[in-house]
Amino acid sequence: MQRTSESAPAGQPVPRPATRRNPALRSRTFRCMGTVISLALPDRGAPRTVPVLEGATAAVERVFTELDAMFSLYRPDSEASRLASGELTLRDASSAFRARFADATGWRLLTEGFFTPERPDGVLDLSGIIKGHAIGQAAAALEAAGVEDWCLNAGGDVLVGGSPVPGSGTPWLAGIVDPLDRASLLSAFPLGGGGRFEALATSGTSERGDHIWRAGAGRTEFRRTEFRQASVVAADIVTADVLATAIVAGGRAMVDWATDSWDVEVLAVLGNGELLATPGFNAARGA
Amino acid sequence: MRTRAAISAALASAGILLAGWQSGAHVAGTGSPVTAAASGSSSSSGSTGAGGAATTAGGGAAAQAAGTYTGTAVQTRFGAVQVQITVNAGTITDVTALRLTDEDRKSVQISNRAAPLLRAAVLKAQSADVQTISGATVTSDAYLTSLQAALDAANL
Repeated sequence: MQRTSESAPAGQPVPRPATRRNPALRSRTFRCMGTVISLALPDRGAPRTVPVLEGATAAVERVFTELDAMFSLYRPDSEASRLASGELTLRDASSAFRARFADATGWRLLTEGFFTPERPDGVLDLSGIIKGHAIGQAAAALEAAGVEDWCLNAGGDVLVGGSPVPGSGTPWLAGIVDPLDRASLLSAFPLGGGGRFEALATSGTSERGDHIWRAGAGRTEFRRTEFRQASVVAADIVTADVLATAIVAGGRAMVDWATDSWDVEVLAVLGNGELLATPGFNAARGA
Repeated sequence: MRTRAAISAALASAGILLAGWQSGAHVAGTGSPVTAAASGSSSSSGSTGAGGAATTAGGGAAAQAAGTYTGTAVQTRFGAVQVQITVNAGTITDVTALRLTDEDRKSVQISNRAAPLLRAAVLKAQSADVQTISGATVTSDAYLTSLQAALDAANL
């Protein structure tokens, strides 16, 4: 995909004209899970778009709120907190909770421990998988409501459906933040539009410090990581999210394991700012 | 990569079959049923490890360990790989690939490993051209000054 570098005209009017280059969108945001979730739909004019967008946002927010109420360790009354305090045991947890626990432990096996649902202090923390799961569930809610073209961004993890220009097959273009200069883009990747990749997740050490745990031989510990940031493009958001986390924790060995074992594209930024990229991220050969 | 994966998987299977055939031949000398099983882990291709089992088609008439041995399918990133060998008078006379990956799209993909890439060579876009922004988990506070917040504000 070749893109010209001409810049957008200054003082661009809002709403923007719907062209392939700059499709007109409308978006709504809400806060949940300690971050901001944005939903964008193609703009077909306010009277047609706004009611659909507001209904869709409410449906997405419901999904996030319900999962947060169950899995947040910041809420003392959540199932996760009651488990952490020992008030509840896993065998007495709800089936929804146990299902996510099973997902997370499955991913721990698949990533050889580089993704783990346990904090260094031994507390079970499923937040690493819940955001991705919530995005996926929200997508199902949107599709059930008949919304075909949408872009959902939850704290930098992206899942799309359809196209920003309905019926055109044009993919959504997702930018990736440069961890060395957060006001600029390091790269971009086309998602959706009929292609096999609809999800993009980025994990890193720049926003929240070294927040990724590394599981060693039988122990879990904080560790200064080899990678500053890793972005993974995949068909589904949980795979993208989990692998991005695992790569930041596991370094080069995990990058090779991820690209050999899953159908994904990876762009990783090393501590010194150098890049490691799969062919899909190479402008000369890429997507 | 695909070729390497296929070859190493095929070699692994062949090795398993060979081991099976040898122990089978040994067992055959004592008049026991000719079955053998061996397991081994396969290649560096990211497959999940493989078990192999070989059984003779020739049954008890295998004094010469003749027969056709079919390896188990070995899963690789590029699909399943499975081989079969034919043994005649104690010699392998034929090796056939029953399956060499089953997805055409993936089998033309040589390698998808990440390699060093200059910043200038990475797929790029101006922030005016993108519809959404991916970054390391953005907290509610950090969102306020993020590129995504600017995009959302423009699309209200």
